[in-house]
Amino acid sequence: MKKVVLLPLLIVLSIYSIAEARVKVTGHGAKMNFSDESIPEIHKPAFDLLQVKCIKCHTLERTVIAVQTGIAPITGQPFNKQGVKAYGIKMLRKPNSEMNKKEIRDIVVLLNFLLDENTK
Amino acid sequence: MVTNKIPVRAARRISFMSNKRRLFSGIFVFYAFQLITVGDVLAIPAFSRAHKVECTTCHTIAPELNEYGEAFLKNSYVYVGKAKSAGEKAPAAPLAARIPSTGSSRGPAVKVMGEGDADQLMKLKAGALVSDAGDQASTKADTESAFAVDNPDNLKPEGLVLAGIPEIVPISFTGAINYAFGDERNINNGNEFDYSARVFKLLAAGNFREKVGFFVTYSAYSEQPPGGTYNTSVIPSNNKTDINEMFLQLRNFLDTPLNFKIGRMQPKLGLWKSSNKLSVTNNYLPYSYTVGQESVFKVDQPQDVIELNSVFARRLFFAGGVVNRKGQNTKEGYGHVSCKIGGADYLGDEADIDLSKDESILDFLAVTIGSYAYFGENGPSVSATPRNSYERYGIDAELQYKIFKLRILGGWGSDSNVNPTQTAATPKVISKAGTLEGEFALRANLMTAARFDYLQELSGYDTLFTNRHVRRYVWIVAYAPLQNVKLSTEFKYEIAQDVINRIGTVGATFSF
Repeated sequence: MKKVVLLPLLIVLSIYSIAEARVKVTGHGAKMNFSDESIPEIHKPAFDLLQVKCIKCHTLERTVIAVQTGIAPITGQPFNKQGVKAYGIKMLRKPNSEMNKKEIRDIVVLLNFLLDENTK
Repeated sequence: MVTNKIPVRAARRISFMSNKRRLFSGIFVFYAFQLITVGDVLAIPAFSRAHKVECTTCHTIAPELNEYGEAFLKNSYVYVGKAKSAGEKAPAAPLAARIPSTGSSRGPAVKVMGEGDADQLMKLKAGALVSDAGDQASTKADTESAFAVDNPDNLKPEGLVLAGIPEIVPISFTGAINYAFGDERNINNGNEFDYSARVFKLLAAGNFREKVGFFVTYSAYSEQPPGGTYNTSVIPSNNKTDINEMFLQLRNFLDTPLNFKIGRMQPKLGLWKSSNKLSVTNNYLPYSYTVGQESVFKVDQPQDVIELNSVFARRLFFAGGVVNRKGQNTKEGYGHVSCKIGGADYLGDEADIDLSKDESILDFLAVTIGSYAYFGENGPSVSATPRNSYERYGIDAELQYKIFKLRILGGWGSDSNVNPTQTAATPKVISKAGTLEGEFALRANLMTAARFDYLQELSGYDTLFTNRHVRRYVWIVAYAPLQNVKLSTEFKYEIAQDVINRIGTVGATFSF
């Protein structure tokens, strides 16, 4: 009897814990975004920056998909920590991106955190 | 109320223009129409459709390319993120190839009815996307891994995969409409404000299975102004339909770093194709000038070419080719070399920057330098008449820093006999041309540029060749309310011989 109860419970708990570790997302399509709840206080300023600076030329949909899948949806390149830095540099050098090095650095740290959270 | 303004103006014009001015005006109009080319509208929305990306991925304001557009072009129109070097593993086979014919850990066996070899079919489908090097070294594990589908974009119909045909027909359309205004004595026979449906082109470009790139431009319509005396109600007709460029580029030919390019194309000489600039109507003079009345050769002219090119060490680019001329046995040849320092490399990858350090100029500075040489010969077809042997040399440079871009072009030319059909041989003509252009990206969709062009053609004998000096100042503003629509205004102040031309153009270019 205990096995009948415990085994499904373990399965449910493991699924639940995996779901809790994945980065939460809100919205669909062009309105897709990371959920506030996934972002700890220490990363909130960078998250606010992301909402303002990183939607100048595109929506956050591609950013969310890249974090969740580990693959940049446009280029198909790996979106790992090396890829995050490469994209950060690309956006830094983009004319009229209006981003400086410090802002890019903060956003890279945030995206690396989200990548780590997503793989737990 | 009928005004007598027009008749008075016409009478004044007729009395004002001397025969000499008529001659220079005619010469200018001839060159003006040469300079207002139909080769300058080359945005390709087919790439947007194929790769699901916006125009600004590859363009600043189309058709001017950014670094990634340049890398995409050099990579045979294969998206730089999916660049495949010799021996690199290929993308996964389509879903139809996923299920193995024999039972395995990946699932039950496919029941194949009738004759045929399912194993062979699966290998054929996997082989459709695997490099030759991969095929030779393939193992069971390689084959099984090739079956894995990790990207839904690989779920293409089997027939198209095997045939190598793009799923989306890669055709785009581009149109340009111009309004020109200027000196009524020197433009359009006194038509002070000229409205025109200038050009409509079809463009097809892409790649076949990332192994062969292709590019075709077809001019469906370019305005032909009425000639001679005509009723002013006549609508200008079509100049002609024509292929502008049509070529294939065999990517990583025989699994080497070399690309083998064949067809009709602008030979790789200068750093930029004629379309790769902000201006719509004014080409760079070092690329677009001709010498004499007979030779129509210019650096950016499409030619029938065999070319080899390659990116080397990510930041060097080499190209060399042989050009064929109809009506003569002699071939022509050229070479190009360029180098990029800073910024994204020729494979589209960014240089590493230490984000923990303070900003420095080097973080945003990119410099590209290129040089070229061209050796050719032209003259009357199938003729023993002494021909014109010509050479062109050039050095180009581009400096980019944040929103500012500076382009410098320098060209030097030599023509031994610019009028081969003349009985008296003409002396050697030395040509020198230069361009200095500064461009600002005020916003992502609003750019302005100012340019100075210079041309000098000199021979030692004024009686046989009219020396030519041209100085041109061009100012351009371009605005893209939508990424596939470009509104631009340009003003050219040109000093050519005894004529000063002031021509303004307001234009709209659209692509879909």
